[in-house]
Amino acid sequence: MGQLSSPAEASGAPRPALLAPERVRALQRVGVLCGIAAGAWLGAAEVPTKLVTTGLSPVLISFAMVAGVFLGRWSLPAMVRGTSGIRADIVEAPHLVIWAIIAGCLWSVANTLTIFAIRDLGLSVAFPLWNTNGIIGILWGVLFFRELHHAGWRRWGAVCGGALVIFLGGMLLARASSSQIASHVALRGIAAALGAGVLWGTMYIPYRKAYLSGMNPLSFVSFFTIGELGMMTALAVAYMGGFHNLYRQLTAAEDVLFWLLAAGFVWVIGDIFQQYAVKYIGVSRGIPISNSNQLWGLVWGAVAFGEFRGWQHGAIAGAIWGSVLMAAGLAAISFSVADNSEYLKWAEAAEREHRRYGIDIEFVRSGMQGRSTNPPQRRTWLDWVLVAAATGAFVWTGARAHWPSIALDGTAALVLLGLCLALLVACAATLWKVTRFN
Amino acid sequence: MDNEEAIDRPETQPIDWLASVSGDVHFWVPALVLIGGLLLLRWVS
Repeated sequence: MGQLSSPAEASGAPRPALLAPERVRALQRVGVLCGIAAGAWLGAAEVPTKLVTTGLSPVLISFAMVAGVFLGRWSLPAMVRGTSGIRADIVEAPHLVIWAIIAGCLWSVANTLTIFAIRDLGLSVAFPLWNTNGIIGILWGVLFFRELHHAGWRRWGAVCGGALVIFLGGMLLARASSSQIASHVALRGIAAALGAGVLWGTMYIPYRKAYLSGMNPLSFVSFFTIGELGMMTALAVAYMGGFHNLYRQLTAAEDVLFWLLAAGFVWVIGDIFQQYAVKYIGVSRGIPISNSNQLWGLVWGAVAFGEFRGWQHGAIAGAIWGSVLMAAGLAAISFSVADNSEYLKWAEAAEREHRRYGIDIEFVRSGMQGRSTNPPQRRTWLDWVLVAAATGAFVWTGARAHWPSIALDGTAALVLLGLCLALLVACAATLWKVTRFN
Repeated sequence: MDNEEAIDRPETQPIDWLASVSGDVHFWVPALVLIGGLLLLRWVS
């Protein structure tokens, strides 16, 4: 560890530069806002998983969602950044392709595990169990990336205490929900949910590695999704008995395919915000904040799907207290802003990536500061082909879609969608203003 | 865990990034967790 105290000198690179405190605060604010928006959009993406109760195979649901994710992860970055910009980023740090692919594989296996967990336990019980990923993320952040080093006991207390309070709030929500559902809690379901939490928590290692290396989140997710779709296709073919059976079941589920693709697309929006949150406030703060998706999931269930109807007062009170606890934990983490001494520790972790992988130090530093060394690129025909292909897939499946036999309060759903869109606009505008989407 | 921190590579030396990734302890944690996840999936399905 002695080498760690002065990595910059060891490589002959200049010492990490101090950032202006105003810039650190601006980046932290962007990160917190991205974490909150990620929670809203990731929570909305869980809604279509209710289709698991309509008898579709969990693996088929996961595969269709990943297909939607694939469409979103290539079309959105192509539109916002352009494939030329993505290529320029990857040339700077080609090793991150491997990290992106392994992260995608972890995501697919975790997502499939959650579908099995929902099948065995129900969404409300499974959700807080896999949200333990925040605690796993903090562990890896502290162990591998020097997060919370030199943070002081107050920030440690706020982040770890906040994560613990969010977890306890989640458990309270789960207890309130499960007391109303006659579900049989199977060991298999609990193992699947906790396993998904470990996989997702570990997936943040590649995320953090990419952003300490100065990578643009929009470029990273484009390669991430190759691992995602590759792994999910392999799982679907293996579990459904070959390509032919997979195709047959996909065509049989034609009328709900659009909703699953849409869930994947909505997930991508939430995930991109989560990636920016990890980039600017680290795993230990970004993930607990974006795990507020559970709160949004509960609001969707209660308001849009009327899941509170017939609940006893005690259960409703439990749900409200659980939500208040989660909100308090979110506030504690959101206000525990990293200062320059903690930021310097992140810069030291970034130096490690520069030395090990020979990445241009300017690329690393400007990326961490929310700036780009690559000039903005013009859109090419490939960008428009990608956007057109994704739009075509949604129009084609949308034309064949029918709303499954699930009751939905249309007005409440529109209000919630409006809130999500307002957060999307606010977050995108702030990201553009402060970082130009870097 | 941080012994690899001591590896010093001048900026001008070309990097064999495949070797660098496989020699990075950060890589083996997600790789092993992925294998564990696949085994768990086999059990729960």
